[in-house]
Amino acid sequence: MKDPTTVPASEGAEPQDDLITRYKAQSPASEAWRMFRRNIPALAGTVMLAIIVLATLYGTFLYNGDPFDIVWAPHEPPGATADFPLGTDYLGRDLLAGILTGGGPTLAVGAAAAAITMLIGITLGALSGFYGGWVDNLLMRFTEFFQVLPALLFAMVLVTLFSPSLWTIAIAIGVVSWPQTARLTRAEFLKIKELEYVTAARAIGARNKRIIWTVILPNAMPPLIVSATLTIGVAILFEAGLSFLGLGDPNVMSWGLMIGANRDYILDAWWPVTFPGLAIFFTVFSVSLIGDGLNDAFNPKLRER
Amino acid sequence: MALLEIENLNVTFNTRHGKVTALDSVSMHVNAGETLGVVGESGCGKSITALSVMGLIPMPPGRIAGGEIRLNGENLVTASDARMRQLRGAEVAMIFQEPMTSLNPVFTVGDQIAEAIMLHQNVSADRAFKDAVALLDRVGIPSPDSRARNYPHQLSGGMRQRVMIAMAVSCRPKVLIADEPTTALDVTVQAQIFDLLNEIQRDFGAAIIMITHDMGAISEMADRVAVMYAGRVIEEARADDVLDTPQHPYARGLISCIPALGKDDTELREIPGVVPPLHMLGAGCAFADRCDYAQERCRREKPALVNHGHHPAACHAVEEGRI
Amino acid sequence: MNSSYLLRRIGYGLVLMLCVVILNFLLIRLAPGDPAMVIAGEMGGATEEMLESIREEYGLNKPVLTQLAIYVGNVARGDLGQSFFFDQPVASLIAQRVGPTILLVIVAQVLSIVIGVVLGVLAARKPNGLMSGFVSVFATIGYAVPVFWTGIMLIILFASILPIFPVEGMQSVRLRDAGPLAKALDIAHHLVLPAFTLAIIYLAQYARLSRASMLEVLGSDYIRTARAKGASQRSVLFKHALRNAALPILTVAGLQFGNLISGALLVETVFNWPGMGRLAFDSILRRDYPTIMGVLFFASAMVVVANLLTDLSYRLADPRLRGK
Repeated sequence: MKDPTTVPASEGAEPQDDLITRYKAQSPASEAWRMFRRNIPALAGTVMLAIIVLATLYGTFLYNGDPFDIVWAPHEPPGATADFPLGTDYLGRDLLAGILTGGGPTLAVGAAAAAITMLIGITLGALSGFYGGWVDNLLMRFTEFFQVLPALLFAMVLVTLFSPSLWTIAIAIGVVSWPQTARLTRAEFLKIKELEYVTAARAIGARNKRIIWTVILPNAMPPLIVSATLTIGVAILFEAGLSFLGLGDPNVMSWGLMIGANRDYILDAWWPVTFPGLAIFFTVFSVSLIGDGLNDAFNPKLRER
Repeated sequence: MALLEIENLNVTFNTRHGKVTALDSVSMHVNAGETLGVVGESGCGKSITALSVMGLIPMPPGRIAGGEIRLNGENLVTASDARMRQLRGAEVAMIFQEPMTSLNPVFTVGDQIAEAIMLHQNVSADRAFKDAVALLDRVGIPSPDSRARNYPHQLSGGMRQRVMIAMAVSCRPKVLIADEPTTALDVTVQAQIFDLLNEIQRDFGAAIIMITHDMGAISEMADRVAVMYAGRVIEEARADDVLDTPQHPYARGLISCIPALGKDDTELREIPGVVPPLHMLGAGCAFADRCDYAQERCRREKPALVNHGHHPAACHAVEEGRI
Repeated sequence: MNSSYLLRRIGYGLVLMLCVVILNFLLIRLAPGDPAMVIAGEMGGATEEMLESIREEYGLNKPVLTQLAIYVGNVARGDLGQSFFFDQPVASLIAQRVGPTILLVIVAQVLSIVIGVVLGVLAARKPNGLMSGFVSVFATIGYAVPVFWTGIMLIILFASILPIFPVEGMQSVRLRDAGPLAKALDIAHHLVLPAFTLAIIYLAQYARLSRASMLEVLGSDYIRTARAKGASQRSVLFKHALRNAALPILTVAGLQFGNLISGALLVETVFNWPGMGRLAFDSILRRDYPTIMGVLFFASAMVVVANLLTDLSYRLADPRLRGK
């Protein structure tokens, strides 16, 4: 015999949702924005990232100097000379100029690589999850193959073979990082394609292409946006690693290159490697704070944990 | 003195709606060898009552705000964690609602029963496992020797519930709490589990607290019944009395929902309305909004559980003789 | 566990390796310029004689499919080509370096899992407690720090301020003739900083993951059953809950292995650890393609083996998957 009354299943510990608060909820996007606005770490990350981006875009207007120029004695400590607040490196190049100009390529490559990653990952994942069957099988084997290759090593090989430039670096990072995005997209598609509104779209005769891009994808966006944010962070770390190893574009100053160039002299001077490292750290840290904030905003239930 | 006495138990939970009262002055008792049925809808507090006895209320957010639970005169509310661990599984044991998820998927069922034995009895692992096999045999699992080496996913729901029962009775507890032990099982298996519990009670002499929303289970198992609604006991009596002459309008509703065998009345009836959320309980009787007999006093004043002639019921209408 | 499953998994691993070999082959041919030049390495200033011998060895004058067959056949025989820069067969170059890399990667993996899981379990006891806050802050920071920079910072710290760990290489020169125990201790001493540098990022991730996984498991019915039996808090956490919470951790540990090798590449470069990462770095600077491709092949093989082992241990850890 089943429950004889029309009571929603719920145990005493957690009383039923208040109907009033449930109806007050707005659209998912504005609800997420409301959650995000109240998330202090995420806001701090946003402000931090905004400052970093503005500094790399406009910093050189306020403080100009060519990061490659030898302007002073080598290894001038930070704060010793007012002209060079962060000191100079092993050749006597201005570190502050390097920090301000070195962020541009790092951020640009990070953003471009994340875009390429998302483009490949979402396309393959969407096809795989939507069509299933042999398409899914083939694409998933392909994805597994790419996951076998150690990403940084593979990216190094690609950059070396096709000569380093900002574009080859961004493409190489994209080519090695897409499998996770593809898996995530596929999982979301598998889940969403079974839902009623997709069936409804089919019933009114929508074409597959239309269902994929205008019905399922928008609903799969929340986790993909979070993943894209985190991908930017990973891509920035990748770019920094490649530049550190000397595989970046040698004609462009970047944070990773500054660390790599100065690493033989770390026991003589700590500052030429410390400041660019902090710059990378704060950039990735701010991006991941934003990513965590978005994740919490899209999944309010996880917050209560 | 009864074997287990619950007296004026108050349990509160901190939720996002603020502090709510999950149990409001709940009192009940059970004697050795007796079966007490606790009946009510989901959310009425019957499982919270059971978990309070076990000392398994999650704290926080839960809190026992007052009252006593006495086992052989010992107050469990104030007992230390170490003492509660000694008692749990040995003196008071519990069978849960979901046999599918209540067994640990990565250990064999024999090991899980043996663990319960070893926690409370000073025996070797070998001895405990042999006892576990004997218990599986006792609860009617065929070829218990090989079944003991199975993992939960290899057993059916009914078998898993038998394993849970074997685990619960492994240390011959004085009080056995069965929280909707058959809800997740199909009807033929339900009957077998009831028979098993009755047998176990005969053999082991345990007191059983049977928690259910199923009046059929009450008529099968219970000697006495406590009916709960929104965190309070609203009627308490011998099972036959409650089944034959329910007093409280809610209890009447529950009884009339039982589809009677052999009658033409095939329509399934239900009590209209829903249990109010615990954080929205007012000053009056929690059932008033669903009650045909509710009057102004019912919305203002909580009725006490008092015998108004037949047996105790918490209802102004009964008190005033309006029903 | 049945043997046909094992055979199928091994077969699949071999197919993946074949794909890596084909990818290597394609990469050399897709690169701009004459493949023989690419193989010889631009730094070599290759003579016409040398190029001719390369064309001969790799069959570069024959049709592409024949070239592929020759290449695959060579790799199958264990011949990864000749490094012109090091003037040694690539296979023996890798054989010299693979030990230190495996040592570094496995020690880092074990460190990060053990410390990470302990932190995660402690944090899960109080979901809003101090430890939980520490774990989530630490995980976010650990994720954002470039691993090579952590290494450099540790070198600065331990070389000048607190000189208790060696900051470079794998062995001390003065112990060349010492006994095996002294040598092993010396290697362990050298291993401390590189292994911790590599472990820190993953440690933070395992801590966060095991906290989440434990919290989920601790809310499940069988944990309540264990408590109802009278099991102690320690037994509930480490026996009943952790065995179940370990399953997702195991999955991630397997997936993480490729990233760990990537990280090892940077860490080896920073600490002059004589492993495959250092070899990859050196050969890339010299554009020594046979060596680079050999390292890529071998590193991928390590990932394939690690995935296979993860899969098998997952099936051992989860009885529901056994015999399927």
